[in-house]
Amino acid sequence: MSQVAAKSSAGLRDPVLAAVLANRFDGIVREMTNTLLRSARSALINTGRDFSCAITTADNRLLAVAEGLPVHTFGSHMQTASMTRLHSDLAKGDAFLHNDPYLGNTHPADQTVMVPVFAEGRHMFTACAKAHQADIGNSIPSTYHFGAKDVYEEGSVIFPCVRLERDYEMIEDVVRTGMRRIRVPEQWRGDLLAARGAARTAERRLEELCSRYGIEVIETFVEDWLDYSETRMAQAIRALPKALLSADGAHDPVQPFLPDGVPLHVSLEVDPDQARIVVDLRDNIDCVDAGLNQSEACAINNVTTGIFNCLDPTIPRNSGSFRRIEVLLRENCVVGKPRFPKSCSMATTNVGDRLVNLVQRAFASLGEGYGLAEGGVSLGAGAAVVSGEDFRRGGRPYVNQLLIGGNGGPGGPSCDGWLTYGIPVVAGLTYGDSIELDELRFPILFETVRLLPGTAGAGRYRGAPAMETTYGVRGGSMIVVIISDGQYNAPRGVLGGADGCLATTHLVYTDASEQRIANFDIVLLDGTGVLRGRTNSGGGYGDPHTRNPRAVRDDVLEGWETPERARDVYSVCLTGNAEDESLAVDVEATEKLRRADALPSSISK
Amino acid sequence: MQFQRYQISIDTGGTFTDAVVADSSGALHLGKALTTPQDISLGVRAAIEAAAAETGLDMQTLLSTTDLLVYGTTAATNAIVTRNVARTAMLCTEGFEDVLLFREGGKSNGHDFTQPFPLPYIARRHTFGVRERIDAEGGVRKPLDEEHLISILRTVAEREFEALAVCLLFSVVNQAHEQRIGELAAAHLPGIPVTLSHRLLPILREFRRASATAINASLRPGMARHLGSMEKSLRELGYNGSLLVSTSTGGCMEVPMLLEQPVHLVKSGPAMAPVAAREYSRRENEACDLIVCDTGGTTFDVGMIRDGELVRTRETWLGPRFSGELLCLSSVDVRSVGAGGGSIAWMDAAGLLRVGPQSAGAEPGPACYGRGGTDATVTDAALVAGYLPPEGLLGGLMSLDRDAAQTAVAKIASALGRDPAETAHAIINLAGETMIAAIVDITVAEGLDPRDCTLVAGGGAAGLNVVAIARELGCSRVLLPKTASAMSACGMQFADIVFEQAAGAFTTSSSFDRTRVENALAAVRADLAAIENSLQSGSGQSRTDFFVEARYEGQVWQLDVALRGSQLGPAEVKELVRDFHAVHERVFAVCDEQSDLEFLTWKGRLTVTLPKKKALRQPSLHTRPLPRERRAAFFDGVGLVDTAFFSGAELAAGAVIEGPAVITEPTTTIVIPPGATATLSGYGSYLIDTGVGA
Repeated sequence: MSQVAAKSSAGLRDPVLAAVLANRFDGIVREMTNTLLRSARSALINTGRDFSCAITTADNRLLAVAEGLPVHTFGSHMQTASMTRLHSDLAKGDAFLHNDPYLGNTHPADQTVMVPVFAEGRHMFTACAKAHQADIGNSIPSTYHFGAKDVYEEGSVIFPCVRLERDYEMIEDVVRTGMRRIRVPEQWRGDLLAARGAARTAERRLEELCSRYGIEVIETFVEDWLDYSETRMAQAIRALPKALLSADGAHDPVQPFLPDGVPLHVSLEVDPDQARIVVDLRDNIDCVDAGLNQSEACAINNVTTGIFNCLDPTIPRNSGSFRRIEVLLRENCVVGKPRFPKSCSMATTNVGDRLVNLVQRAFASLGEGYGLAEGGVSLGAGAAVVSGEDFRRGGRPYVNQLLIGGNGGPGGPSCDGWLTYGIPVVAGLTYGDSIELDELRFPILFETVRLLPGTAGAGRYRGAPAMETTYGVRGGSMIVVIISDGQYNAPRGVLGGADGCLATTHLVYTDASEQRIANFDIVLLDGTGVLRGRTNSGGGYGDPHTRNPRAVRDDVLEGWETPERARDVYSVCLTGNAEDESLAVDVEATEKLRRADALPSSISK
Repeated sequence: MQFQRYQISIDTGGTFTDAVVADSSGALHLGKALTTPQDISLGVRAAIEAAAAETGLDMQTLLSTTDLLVYGTTAATNAIVTRNVARTAMLCTEGFEDVLLFREGGKSNGHDFTQPFPLPYIARRHTFGVRERIDAEGGVRKPLDEEHLISILRTVAEREFEALAVCLLFSVVNQAHEQRIGELAAAHLPGIPVTLSHRLLPILREFRRASATAINASLRPGMARHLGSMEKSLRELGYNGSLLVSTSTGGCMEVPMLLEQPVHLVKSGPAMAPVAAREYSRRENEACDLIVCDTGGTTFDVGMIRDGELVRTRETWLGPRFSGELLCLSSVDVRSVGAGGGSIAWMDAAGLLRVGPQSAGAEPGPACYGRGGTDATVTDAALVAGYLPPEGLLGGLMSLDRDAAQTAVAKIASALGRDPAETAHAIINLAGETMIAAIVDITVAEGLDPRDCTLVAGGGAAGLNVVAIARELGCSRVLLPKTASAMSACGMQFADIVFEQAAGAFTTSSSFDRTRVENALAAVRADLAAIENSLQSGSGQSRTDFFVEARYEGQVWQLDVALRGSQLGPAEVKELVRDFHAVHERVFAVCDEQSDLEFLTWKGRLTVTLPKKKALRQPSLHTRPLPRERRAAFFDGVGLVDTAFFSGAELAAGAVIEGPAVITEPTTTIVIPPGATATLSGYGSYLIDTGVGA
């Protein structure tokens, strides 16, 4: 064995070196991530963490993504594929700017800087830094244009994989194009420089790595690592029951564009014998005349995310593990390949969030221990894009997306939902804004940011509760662009778990009267009222009657749940009270109540 | 002949209490004892006795001739980790009571749905909303409702809370409401310590301020008891000199200050390792920046020295990032990862060799400890690779079960299809990967290139792979002091009194509010002057440095820029802006000279120099000592080779040892691979030329 560099069954020719080099590639992506996080300008990137870095191979396979957002995981390799296809003259010192959803990008707001990395004159890797911009020149002051019937109405500046640097020199024509069309251009330019800095950092490190270990060793590692990742995925799938799964759901109605919403259907074939999962998204409606269409990258990514959410979280996410997943898409389909010029303005959220949810809910139908409930999908007041002119600074314009008080996460087979979950496609990874920093930078005044007790989708493992965010404008007026979901179709519970609660957004006037705000709306805030958003809670996993009574008691004690719901929903009887901390489970009464609940009503009488 | 005068430092760790005694000649004497959690003073006493014995004195004589004693404690860290803290009530602006619950978001691994959401540091049911509101400019949007407040204070009294934390929105900009709460709390809650956020940590970002305030408040009663009883027992033992306590700022403070701000005690131990490293490298005239590593059985700590200064951060996590506690005070940047001698090696189902994150810990410990452990750990690998002395650790006090280590490593070896020594070496290398990743992460955040640094290593397990790690990072030099196993206690010997005070005054470079900034700086200066006046100890030599936390417009993460003076006229502001661009360029490799700057927090750092013993330098003679024995050990590239083993105690200053070699010190083992050369300096440090880079 030791004399020949024989491939082990897992495909690792050198299991020690593989572990070392995998660590180095992850380290490089982390270094990119830190560089971008700390030097970016817009809150969406530096606070919201709405960006991701990745390394692909020269032949466009995804190799390393480290801490990237789930929604950005898949697709960098589709973007680099367009780079190698469109630019036959790639050279050291090049950088490209790419935000074209018809060429493999997620959606136009995610601008990606790509740097081809060379060693010994050969293109070895491409370093990709993708960041969601605060503005991209849309015809409305939001990077999410829900009403756009096509890319022209959307109005975003599309950079279809254009050269940004040659010989390490910025091509200022490209920057000028953006500066002329993008709101708050200095902020955009700063973020672009930050992304470029991150990609260049990776370039230096990758060059060093290649010269340290030699091209051949690195190339061997790449193949081994992708094979290893595939093996990990294959092993996970072999441990699943063989099944045909499906789930139906819908994005909420959106007036006036989509009065019936967007019905969605996902079917999955889990084949442990072949160690493969095939997801079919073809049985869905055509592209819609609104910004809700999935790009190809997002459609594949979001179902893949749903699958990864239900498997061992340590399986590497790269083109190796992806080999075991096939996603069937259809041309001109709302969750498939968008037909130019249909708009993909909102491809990363909304319908994308629903896809993640549908896949993880479908997995739950494998039975106890599998899958997840659905997580909250609303993007109301706390996730709105606010813009206007700041009266405190001589009318200086501002635009940014808020990231405050997101949805509750889904209950799972072993754990309650994550409270600061946000939406399915970010799954808790983004940071929340500081109230103080937001108020310092924008003429906004918050009234509440708080948890809403008694809202969690009940279950053996409950979803996380909903949150409330209320704010008004300090002076002048503020344009608030909202692109929510989750006001009509709640996040679903699974295996007996309850659904999460519905989201709402209201304009609350100073005389206390309220006006309901639609999912997609542009609200002009002035001194006459404040905006109050309540998010979805996460769906519950498993029968609430099987929840550990102590966990119910802890929830009541901490004000996450109400005593009434403890009794009515969870059948848990409590004694004492929270104020003097004497709250306790009445074990006998609880057992009795739960036994009575378990009996069919006709017998229990 | 003058009488000897001594200086003592004590570090109470989780397992051991270290005492270090410096005599007038500058020689350091180490004493070690087991930490006694029931009554810490017993272990402290035993450690002082052990160190006294090394100096040839009895404890009473030593204590009566000691001028300065620096005490370091993990009590605050332990109290937080075990939540053995005061029952604390939190007061926040109404509507924002969940600030500690929501934190700043963030999570590790978006696909992992098996992590429970972390509990807030202070329970929701112990958090009360105060009716008031101040805006970003300090304007009062809603006056403080005192009647409502008093009803809350009554509840706090009735429910027997022991401490109170107060953090209102924008209290940094307008202190009036927090101050008024302080007054009313003093009246309604006599005897209950109150921590006001604008006093403790006047920075913007409500979660960070609230977190530090809550932690501080919760520690006050317990740390007051702890420090009080420690001082009492030291006095009872006959100590009459000055007592100082080490802090996370990388200096020390007097007890009265820490009674109000015990949060500075948290993670103070790890903060002292870079202080020690700085001193050791100064002695050797090392001009480079330093990477400072401290390797224990379960944790690997890494910090830095840049331009001769400690590198500080406001992002210190106690526990895991995102789910641990964020301290937010400016403290020495030391990051911990789970890696050490106890880390377990395993093969995953797809055939990849892994080391950690599981650890055999102290119980059962590595297989070779013979306490029932059967998994192959890094320590077992070190034994099988031939690095550890067959007679055992701690000079033979702790014997090692070679067969158990062989059996454990053999399991991995057969899965790998390699021989045991080679496998053992691979395990040690892979354990080093976690350490390399931690070093890369921390140096990257500061824009340091490891290749330009000297690596200073401490901790019992440091010497096993430090040269290999240094080579991977491209460091040409490693410094490993003979006192490596007590880095923190040694650091305290070299520490000064350090205290930081800050004031928030937001302004920009394009419309610089000079009055506001100079008022803020004046307030900081006045605070620091008052603290300096209250000090009992110190040499009378002091200096105050001023800094500003600044960023480009729209950024969120600030960088520290030193102020060149306290006047900030247009010319000085221009200079400050230039300095910021330079710092930004250094850290991120880019700068944007067209951008406006935002200045947020103005801070002053008071440093009062403490008397220090002069370092003792042994005359050093270039020698090539003969090894005590020769045995086989495994090295990269050459496999099992004949290796020279030296006993550190027998080496004289100036001794030069070429790899492959192993130097056995009583508390650490230093592996010198082929191509590397170690020289024992006159100051008792091994200077290792790794054979790579510069």
